[in-house]
Amino acid sequence: MSPPASARLELRDVSLRYGRGAEPALKGLSLTVEPGELVALLGPSGCGKTTALKIVAGLLAPTSGEVLVDGRSLLGVPPEKRGAAMVFQKPLLFPHMSVEANVGFGLRMRGASQAESSARAREALGRVRMEGHGDRRPDELSGGQQQRVSLARALVTEPSLLLLDEPLSALDANLRSALRDLVREVQEEGGYTTVFVTHDQEEAVVLADRIALVTGGALRMYDRPQAFYDRPRTREVAEFFGATNFIEGRSAGPDGPVETALGTFGLATPVPAGKVTLTIRPEAVRLGTQSEDGGNSFVARVSEATYLGTQISYRLQAGDTSLRAALPPHTRLAVGERTTVRLPAESLWPLGP
Amino acid sequence: MVGGVFSRFKIPLLLAPALLVLGGLFAGGLYAALVQSLGYFPAIGMTEVSLDAYREVLGSRRFLDSLLLTFYVAGVSTVLATVLAVLAALALRRSPSRISSVIFQVPITVPHLVAAVGIALVVSQTGLGARLAASLGLIGEPAEFPALLYDRYSVGIILTYVWKEMPFVALVVLAGLRGVAGELEEVARTLGASAWQRFWYVVFPVISPGIVAASLIVFAFTFGAFEVPFLLGRSYPTILPVMAYDEYRSVELTDRPAAMAINVLITLVTALTAALYLRLSRRIGGRRGSS
Repeated sequence: MSPPASARLELRDVSLRYGRGAEPALKGLSLTVEPGELVALLGPSGCGKTTALKIVAGLLAPTSGEVLVDGRSLLGVPPEKRGAAMVFQKPLLFPHMSVEANVGFGLRMRGASQAESSARAREALGRVRMEGHGDRRPDELSGGQQQRVSLARALVTEPSLLLLDEPLSALDANLRSALRDLVREVQEEGGYTTVFVTHDQEEAVVLADRIALVTGGALRMYDRPQAFYDRPRTREVAEFFGATNFIEGRSAGPDGPVETALGTFGLATPVPAGKVTLTIRPEAVRLGTQSEDGGNSFVARVSEATYLGTQISYRLQAGDTSLRAALPPHTRLAVGERTTVRLPAESLWPLGP
Repeated sequence: MVGGVFSRFKIPLLLAPALLVLGGLFAGGLYAALVQSLGYFPAIGMTEVSLDAYREVLGSRRFLDSLLLTFYVAGVSTVLATVLAVLAALALRRSPSRISSVIFQVPITVPHLVAAVGIALVVSQTGLGARLAASLGLIGEPAEFPALLYDRYSVGIILTYVWKEMPFVALVVLAGLRGVAGELEEVARTLGASAWQRFWYVVFPVISPGIVAASLIVFAFTFGAFEVPFLLGRSYPTILPVMAYDEYRSVELTDRPAAMAINVLITLVTALTAALYLRLSRRIGGRRGSS
């Protein structure tokens, strides 16, 4: 059995409705995962991300749409023939088998000899740092160890797709970050095309090559992690990633400035004419002496200052608009002080409807 | 302080009334039976403790025939009920739970007596089955219908037990299938296991402790139950509880120790089965608890 080359996964307009009259769990999801890429399906609980993963695994059938691997449709293929190994939120080890038998399970089911499956199971246990635990029973292992074993059990079959359904969410914080690094490491080593479902934005940012943000059964944005901070597509996306600064305005035209209650702002990005919401990361806001050079500035009052160790978070009030700014801790502005605020043109980002 | 004492004894205190009824009636009855089986029956002047009753009972042909029949009826009923229950549970595992609860829970609410009478009405030589077979031309006369009541093979008794106990086993198995066994099966599926491999290597080993536990309960019950064989069984050999009852009803009060010895022996087999069940369920519970 030679390991299959990693595959290109494509979801085309996939929808699923659990019952007639029910709100669809997925609405026309389209997504391409390149060979060897790790994509995080990110969204709040109930958004349809696990549904999408189960459709790829074959455990659910979509109401409409296509699932393709390397251009071939998977829809008629039963889960056991898809070569898509899945790791679930719970480890779900087979309780009546030893750790090694658990890991070797997929190979034995494909007809591998006892000796071969045993050797490759031991090798896979080594990849997840669980060497020497092969003779144990699953209930003798801790939760984190069990999840490592279940990862090894998926890897040993050399799947063309690795599907991870919130595998870290049941673990406590320390274990979670250690296992997160391990997942990334084995994924890169094996070059598996991987879909990782999570509701944890930080986990998605750290792990993924690209993030697919899904809410209400639909794809809201699909891009590299950095883009979710710098160029969020909509206000919903920006808010999901913790953005707090929103300024309503009206654009005069693609190159024209944006009129807002705080003043007239120029942007480095073209903005179509009409109503628009601008956003800016708190770290990009300039205050006081930092804000001397030129336009995009206005005067605001410091209404709150919170010391956070590595930075100070200020709340600024200008008319009805309140903004957050994060500055290095050596800048000291007092609550009640009036200060000049500058929003650099290259950091202001127009949100789509 | 008082609150502390109360909270420490709260559970025993709350359990006490139930335990008193259960323990008083059960232990008291068992004690009386044990004493009388040992030949201590002062009411008729028997005060010498001996194992004579056991010797007499164990040595009699009638007891051995009864014992074999009881094992046969309990064993066959248990195996049939269990096999049918597992098949039914597998068939219904993906159906809505509304359907399976109607199918399985209704027979559980019907008393054994009613079930026995119902079965009798269907399978007796003058019953529904015989007349149906005759009118379909399968047999010439209803009386040619095979004797399934008061017969050599205790078909009527076994049918009643299968009808009554199968749903109980099925509900236990169904709960297992819909719980962790179902999730483990999905895992096995994504790891490439075929339908048969998933059943044989994952689902069956996972649900089998539940199957064994449920069938032990059925065995213990059918081994010690009285009313169905009393209604539908032959007069010789009878199953043990019926034999004990006959001895008990004997005009000769000196037969009483023998009746009680039979009861004690029935209790012993049932208790052994229960002990087996407890050991098994503790093993399952321990596994579940630590994972």
